[in-house]
Amino acid sequence: MSELSDIKAEQQSADIVPDGASEPEPAQAVAAPAPAPRIRRLNIIGRRNLFFALSLIIIIPGIVSMATRHFALGIDFAGGTELTVNVANNPSLAQVQSAVDAENINGSVIQTGGGGYIIRYPPLSPAQVTGVQSDLQGRLGPTSVQQILVVGGTIAGETIALSVLAVVLASVAILLLLAVRFRNVPGGWRAGFQFGGSALAALLHDVFILTGIFSILGKVFDLRIGEIDAFFVTAVLTVVGFSVHDTIVVFDRIRENLRVSQRLSFDQVVNLSIMQTAARSIITSFTVVLVLAAILIAGGTTLQGLALALMIGIVSGTYSSIFNAAPLLVVWRRLQPLR
Amino acid sequence: MQLVLSWPVRLFVVGVLIVSLFVDGAGFVYRIANKLPLTGNVAGLPPNFGGWQLYFHKGLDLAGGTHIDYQLTNFPAGQSRADVQKRTIDVINKRVNSLGVSEPEIRGAGTNNDRITVDLAGVNAAQAQKTIGAVSKLVYTKWVKDVKVTGGPEPGYKPALTGLTGDDISNATATIDQTGTSWVVNITFTSAGATKFDTLTRDNVAACPGDSTTVASANCAERHLTIWLDLTQADIDHWEDSSYVAKVSATYDPACLAAQAPGTICGKFLTDPITREEIAGGQAQISGSFTQQSATDLATGINSGSLPVDLVALDVTQVSATLGAESVKLSIAAGLLGLAIVVVFMIVYYRIPGLLASLALLFYAGAVLAVFKLVPVTLTLAGITGFILSVGMAVDANVLIFERFKEEVRAGRTIAAAVDAAVRRAWPAIRDSNTSTIITCIILGFVGPAAVKGFAITLAIGVFASLVSSIVVTHNLLAIVLAGSGFRRPGLLGVDRVRAV
Repeated sequence: MSELSDIKAEQQSADIVPDGASEPEPAQAVAAPAPAPRIRRLNIIGRRNLFFALSLIIIIPGIVSMATRHFALGIDFAGGTELTVNVANNPSLAQVQSAVDAENINGSVIQTGGGGYIIRYPPLSPAQVTGVQSDLQGRLGPTSVQQILVVGGTIAGETIALSVLAVVLASVAILLLLAVRFRNVPGGWRAGFQFGGSALAALLHDVFILTGIFSILGKVFDLRIGEIDAFFVTAVLTVVGFSVHDTIVVFDRIRENLRVSQRLSFDQVVNLSIMQTAARSIITSFTVVLVLAAILIAGGTTLQGLALALMIGIVSGTYSSIFNAAPLLVVWRRLQPLR
Repeated sequence: MQLVLSWPVRLFVVGVLIVSLFVDGAGFVYRIANKLPLTGNVAGLPPNFGGWQLYFHKGLDLAGGTHIDYQLTNFPAGQSRADVQKRTIDVINKRVNSLGVSEPEIRGAGTNNDRITVDLAGVNAAQAQKTIGAVSKLVYTKWVKDVKVTGGPEPGYKPALTGLTGDDISNATATIDQTGTSWVVNITFTSAGATKFDTLTRDNVAACPGDSTTVASANCAERHLTIWLDLTQADIDHWEDSSYVAKVSATYDPACLAAQAPGTICGKFLTDPITREEIAGGQAQISGSFTQQSATDLATGINSGSLPVDLVALDVTQVSATLGAESVKLSIAAGLLGLAIVVVFMIVYYRIPGLLASLALLFYAGAVLAVFKLVPVTLTLAGITGFILSVGMAVDANVLIFERFKEEVRAGRTIAAAVDAAVRRAWPAIRDSNTSTIITCIILGFVGPAAVKGFAITLAIGVFASLVSSIVVTHNLLAIVLAGSGFRRPGLLGVDRVRAV
């Protein structure tokens, strides 16, 4: 009786592994009552180089793209004027583009569907903005202006500086937080910084994956969703927080297991801890990914870029906490042994 | 951890729940109490409960309106920058008020008091910039006899420009006078202005000498110096037209003046005080039966002829009300969809504990929304996203507890012991991981770009509430429902087998 419902639960859990991630669902593969702690077969630590390589395969093209092509900048980073309009007559992109070209102030047009267009200009004065609106009205017929953004160079520069500062500060704060929290594992502060440093490396991994993918989306594929703006910075910082969430859960388990399982080697403890926490990490991320999918589907254009960025970052964050952060800790321990 | 299972804590949770439901449903409470229909527009919303107005404060991207960041340049020498910034804010406020904006927000910003941020709901950018950046010229007039004049501040007289203008004034402030009882307005003239003002006041007194407060003959129209905004010779030429005079002599209307619509006659009058004595030092004081408000208004009016600094718009955002309404609809849909997905998933995967966690999640959502209304937090698109995301994160603590619960049950503990051990052992991870998110939010809130701050605030509130909700509410529900009653069927708990008690 109890066996039957168990198998059902098994199947459900197997179904929900996000994105067909390469790891098998680490849940109760063998339901036989085993003495605690149970060491499952999957050897993540042993195959750590494979997982590091997998991360690099994604990160390196991203870094190349960032270094050579940079980013497609949204208006709040690039500066300029952006009009979001709805044209009642639903003209074609070519018609709107020629109307904008006729204004002769370097406007460019992006179609958003259903008569909706985004038109970008260099920074314009208030009088010019008013002029452009009535001009479009004259050329294209009844036009409702949904949104006007005018961003000067000063603010754009400040936004970029503040964003970088925020990411740096958050990273340092998290490193310190982890060092403080994990200083009570055997090895003291040095061990604390090993934990903190590994978490930080995993975190930078996620930041690079996210920014790299957006650089590729925006510059190589020329997609508007790949433009980075203040919302993208929000996404990066949330991913920073979330990635550390997952990593802390694994590390916390390592800390606990180091205390209770003193017969096991450090490698074994780490592998055991990964196995014990992987289900939780995947389930949590999966839930958040579901919520983000809801935003992606129902949330409107403004939020879609944010939702996509968060989704990439959170999947990466879960991957890195399982396959990078803890294995990195093992590597670090080998290079710098603590009694 | 036993502490959170005590009855005072449970009563507190119930109390929070009741207050949250009241706050969340304030509109419905009001409708029911007043026997109004439950849907559609009714008068009196948002309801006012003893001074508390409970409603969601919508940011401009949801309400529609204009946001402008101004850089202040050309600060006058020798005056405190903070004062200049404050005076500029007062003047902008005054100008904006005449547009009839509800809850305009005009805040100082910048590391060196050199920025002002303006948020105006329901105003388009062109109108806002015209009104705020308007340059009105303040002029002083004296009075000359004209028997054909029937209206205006001094019937039988028409004004004459004196050559003394706003350029001659360095500033005006509202303050309490030396006796400490009544409000006055102090005007400081520039040195050129002081000379002109001295001559004018000497002529005033010479026109009908004597103590103006006691001698009736000393109170003549020629002894008045009147202040106007944008009064021109063309206006004065119309002074014998009584309907024209009545309009011009109305209290000045900054929005009307800013619009500069041809054919419209705007109010331009500021004040018409009598001159008591010759004033030589360039320091004048206008007294009368002022309240603090009316004195401040007059000082602002005098200053508003010209802003003390130049304003340069750094960025301008205009969002239409329709786009705002659309965004509200979309984000509510996304929020409900997200919540529904999470609830279904939790129940399917974790069974009874999942159901309990879903109840805790609904409590959490209700409480957070109530906090948004009570604080109040101004909700923006990014802010709502932060909240929706925090729903996802709120689940995390529950998942940690449940996975641990399964492990403990598998390890052979009784259900009651497993619940206790699960919460106790999951706590350090929950605490540390949420601390890291809250730290990120605090950093974003302080150094993040403006658009990001709303996100940081709602996410921080959400994460904190989720911490409380999982540790207190879920834990209690688990303890009451699972440990107390007879749930022993493994299928309902999502585990393999349960040890008999």
